[in-house]
Amino acid sequence: MATACGRCQGALDPEDLRCALCGLAVPEGEGSARAPDAARAEIVRCVTCGAAMAYDARVQAPACAFCGSVTRSERIDDPMEQASHALAFTVGPERAREVLRAWLSGRGIFAPADLATNATVDHLRPLWWPAWIFSALADVWWTADSDHGAHRSAWAPQNGRAAMRFEHLLVSASRGLSYEECARLAPGYDLQRAAPAEGLLSATPAGGVVERFDVQRSAARRRILDALTSMAGAEVGSRYVPGSRVRNVRVSLLLQSLTTRRFALPAYVLAYRYEGRLYRAVVHGQDERMVLGESPTSVWRVLGVVAAVLLAVVLIAWILSLASG
Amino acid sequence: MDPAGSAHVECGRCGASMQLPSTARTAVCPYCAAPAIVERPRSAASVDPAFTMGFVFEASRASELVHRWARAQGFFREPGVRLAKVEDLRGVYLPAYLYSAVARSRYSALIGEDYTETETYTTTDAQGKTETRTRTVTRTEHRPLHGEHAAYVADVLVTASRALGNAELEAVEPFDLRAIRRYDPSLVVGWIAEDPSMTAAECYELARREAVEKVGASLHGFMPGDSHRDLVHQTWLEQESLDLVLVPVWVLALRYREDRGLLRVLVNGQTGRVAGAVPWSRLRIALAVAAALLAVAAVVAAVILLEPA
Repeated sequence: MATACGRCQGALDPEDLRCALCGLAVPEGEGSARAPDAARAEIVRCVTCGAAMAYDARVQAPACAFCGSVTRSERIDDPMEQASHALAFTVGPERAREVLRAWLSGRGIFAPADLATNATVDHLRPLWWPAWIFSALADVWWTADSDHGAHRSAWAPQNGRAAMRFEHLLVSASRGLSYEECARLAPGYDLQRAAPAEGLLSATPAGGVVERFDVQRSAARRRILDALTSMAGAEVGSRYVPGSRVRNVRVSLLLQSLTTRRFALPAYVLAYRYEGRLYRAVVHGQDERMVLGESPTSVWRVLGVVAAVLLAVVLIAWILSLASG
Repeated sequence: MDPAGSAHVECGRCGASMQLPSTARTAVCPYCAAPAIVERPRSAASVDPAFTMGFVFEASRASELVHRWARAQGFFREPGVRLAKVEDLRGVYLPAYLYSAVARSRYSALIGEDYTETETYTTTDAQGKTETRTRTVTRTEHRPLHGEHAAYVADVLVTASRALGNAELEAVEPFDLRAIRRYDPSLVVGWIAEDPSMTAAECYELARREAVEKVGASLHGFMPGDSHRDLVHQTWLEQESLDLVLVPVWVLALRYREDRGLLRVLVNGQTGRVAGAVPWSRLRIALAVAAALLAVAAVVAAVILLEPA
């Protein structure tokens, strides 16, 4: 079985019959069956009762009309995605609690003064969230409008071509974590230390959750291609289009050597309670400096700051009027 | 075996000899009713299918879909179609080619970039005085753009059967290519399955035309600006591949009038999409035209009669 597409060199999964990117058929692994010497009608026999079988649309497989048995058939080749690699937690749960408390005490001037001391951690859940990590080479043809060379209209059409390399880019498949949360957590993972997912995820810590890829492979590929296209568009807009104002960036990609790995990435999801309300926070599973989340704001502190600023303004005005008078 | 006509095939169960069209890939023995796959010696002309897609619903569902489709036909179509009888219904694995390639294009177009201008104009007010006013108008500046474009063109499907033209196949497309399976005789046994009756060269031509049309459509979306016109492109197809695939199609023959031939209707065996060329009802169109003319004449007559002398 081939492991890379013969046309675009994109990585192929074992179940692939065609390249998802460029559509080239994957050659069959084993040599095809020997051709008979003369035309002959071959019967497909039921292994249970020996009767001749026909393909049945209801079960989408060959079925025997006499005993009802269905032969094992190739499954439809759009399986659910599953993580192939995972990263281990390097921040322990106790450390995560400490990190959260430190984070709460540094929430700035508008946070309540007793936040760090009075907030109680309601629960802490180790979570492996799903993501695709991909690398690819892309030959990008683009068009756009920009102010470069504009005449009467503020916009002039531009076009060009660029070669791009995408390496170890992450696309989140998580539904539990928001897109922004995933984007902020992503740089903190050391992907070089990935281990096979099966071994690592079977030893899930107490209360731990492995979030599943809630998407089939074809939909996953669509999302990866969409992500690549929008990344290429953003890159073109910021680096390649001449001029200072850009709009209508359109790209066409010829991707080469696309490889995708399915990862399970560690993070702690915590809920803490302050004055009866629950707040959510996320602590990175490998980089304790990364804590994301929401925290309460003290209305009194906000009012105090506003009052102080107003007082300062009034004071300055008074001093200025004294000086000028 | 006579490649242009029919072939003698021996049943593997009861040994009966069957006469089959040379393009038949499956057979049902008329004596013992055994569904079978026809295995032939490989020749230069014969191509084994690479893939197939299975039927996902049965004949009764196909028939129901066609009846619903027939009832939804417009007023000006042959009225008999709405109550037509299904004279024949077969599930056919139609041979088709799945084409993919790298498409490189050179394009040129005039890109419209809008801008606004304030212009002055004169008008007369209610009192008949002439006054000058200003207004903002949007104008378009057209700038030429020449460039290149490249993309993979995958999933182009064209018929390989002379019995069923490409336009007819297109009418029931798309097929869900995610459900594609590697061809195995057990997936088509008991159904009608044919070998391609068109040559690969003919199918390449059809596929290339479709691929270039696809590129043309995507180039329209690729153009910048507020609008564009005079888009022309020249496309080269490289690294082409063509794979034979058997696609599931229900073929129905409807009898909608005793004095007319049968109407062929196709149903996509995967998605249930129905298509058929229902003839126009000449009588109904003639009656509608006559009624419209009559109405116009009545209005004209009324205007003439009511007009004060």
